[in-house]
Amino acid sequence: MKKATGRWLAEHWITIASPIALLALWEWASATGLRAAFFPRPTTIAVHLRDLARDGVLWAHLATTLVRIGWSFSLAAILGVAIGLAMGLWRRLREGLDPVFAVIYPIPSVLFLPLVSFLVPPGEIALIVTTAVTSFFLIAFTTTHGVRQIDRLIVEAGRHYGAKGWRLFATVLLPGALPHIFTGLRLGLGFALIVVVAVEIVSASEGLGALLWLSWQVLKVEDMYATFFVIALLGALLSYGLAALRARLLPWVPDVADR
Amino acid sequence: MGVAVPAAALVLWQICSRLGLISPRYFPAPTTVAWALADRLLAGDLAGDLLVTLTRLACAFALAAVPAVPLGLLMGMARPVRELVEPYLAFIFPVPKITLLPFLLIILGVGEPAFVLTGASSAFFQIVISTLAGVQTMDPRLVEVGRNYGAHGPRLFWKVILPAALPAIFTGLRLGLGLALVTLVAVEFIAAKSGLGHLVYRHWQMLSTPEMYAAFALVGALGLVLTRGLRALQARVLTWQEENIGV
Repeated sequence: MKKATGRWLAEHWITIASPIALLALWEWASATGLRAAFFPRPTTIAVHLRDLARDGVLWAHLATTLVRIGWSFSLAAILGVAIGLAMGLWRRLREGLDPVFAVIYPIPSVLFLPLVSFLVPPGEIALIVTTAVTSFFLIAFTTTHGVRQIDRLIVEAGRHYGAKGWRLFATVLLPGALPHIFTGLRLGLGFALIVVVAVEIVSASEGLGALLWLSWQVLKVEDMYATFFVIALLGALLSYGLAALRARLLPWVPDVADR
Repeated sequence: MGVAVPAAALVLWQICSRLGLISPRYFPAPTTVAWALADRLLAGDLAGDLLVTLTRLACAFALAAVPAVPLGLLMGMARPVRELVEPYLAFIFPVPKITLLPFLLIILGVGEPAFVLTGASSAFFQIVISTLAGVQTMDPRLVEVGRNYGAHGPRLFWKVILPAALPAIFTGLRLGLGLALVTLVAVEFIAAKSGLGHLVYRHWQMLSTPEMYAAFALVGALGLVLTRGLRALQARVLTWQEENIGV
């Protein structure tokens, strides 16, 4: 065990050494000459991060953002998988919705905020629905594709063995599309984080995006860096955590997005 | 069918809006929006904002692509470089790039460089990662065969590695351009005083909804043209690649 760790270190020492070296260089530069107003020392940022965490401000904003991501993602996942499956199964529905999706999908999700705020009560609900838009399209797209790429032969075989209707769906079509659905969910969750931060910057007074933007407006530069660090950590956790989860749940297929 | 559903939706919207079943103030009839679009285009201010967004997009894309492709290739071919850069890539890639905006605003001041660089950053990481994947996933036998036929150094790179990685590079450029557009429009919505994104924001604040929808439609059309156009270009230029050109 120890030997394996040692070998790993010998092979990958650069990966670990370079961030440490960069942080040390940054610390030294900010302490000696670099404009500390723009680039505060990493140790100062760490102290500010600790202060933010200690008086609870950080946790409140983090919790707000997480709750919003949770609602948006659930909304996008349920609707996206349902509509994606329906589009994969029925050609007419797919042909009807494809052009609509093609036009709406490339529109940046923040722009939906005005539209959504006309449709639903502005405030928290509008924020959550806006965040769900992009994730919904991603999940619906990948789910549709997942159903469509299933080998015809497998479906035929299932039919020959007497699987019809619900049975065919539950035992052949759904498992066949599952890897794609999971990829869609993973990408959708990633996008939920991206969009929620953007929407919070635009219109919220709470949440990590709002904390970042408000810190900029009052020029609390150290707090900006601290918040950025937390957002980056959250992003890494979501994307790599879900990739690991996928590898554990669906070990028989490579990740579609990795190709 | 492909035309029927959107057309039916538009007609339904038109009728509901005209009859007052939905508030025409918030949901003006499509014909009203079309008139606003034509009117603003003829007046020139919409075209001006479109041009501003396109210029920013071109700058951001060039700033991202020019360093990103060589870096991705270098990372794919030289392990020390990959090991050196990978931790930063892994740390920054999942971060919403819009969060870089406030940092660039304090460092560069409020203005074009900060807006454009924020857009560029979102394309940059995508292009590096796609290029790197293109080199890493290429069939090692191709390199072996190239070597056996006497290709070394630059020759091996130009004749074997680059053509093999080109489809992935192109996919990276295509995705990167889309991401740059999304980020730029968001930046315009939040911080800039011009461009299509800002236009949507301003007309939202003034509740001049026909103009708001017109700007909105223009952003959608721009996104559609860019994504579809590049996809078609990719299929035409890189005829040797396999069918999969990414989601």
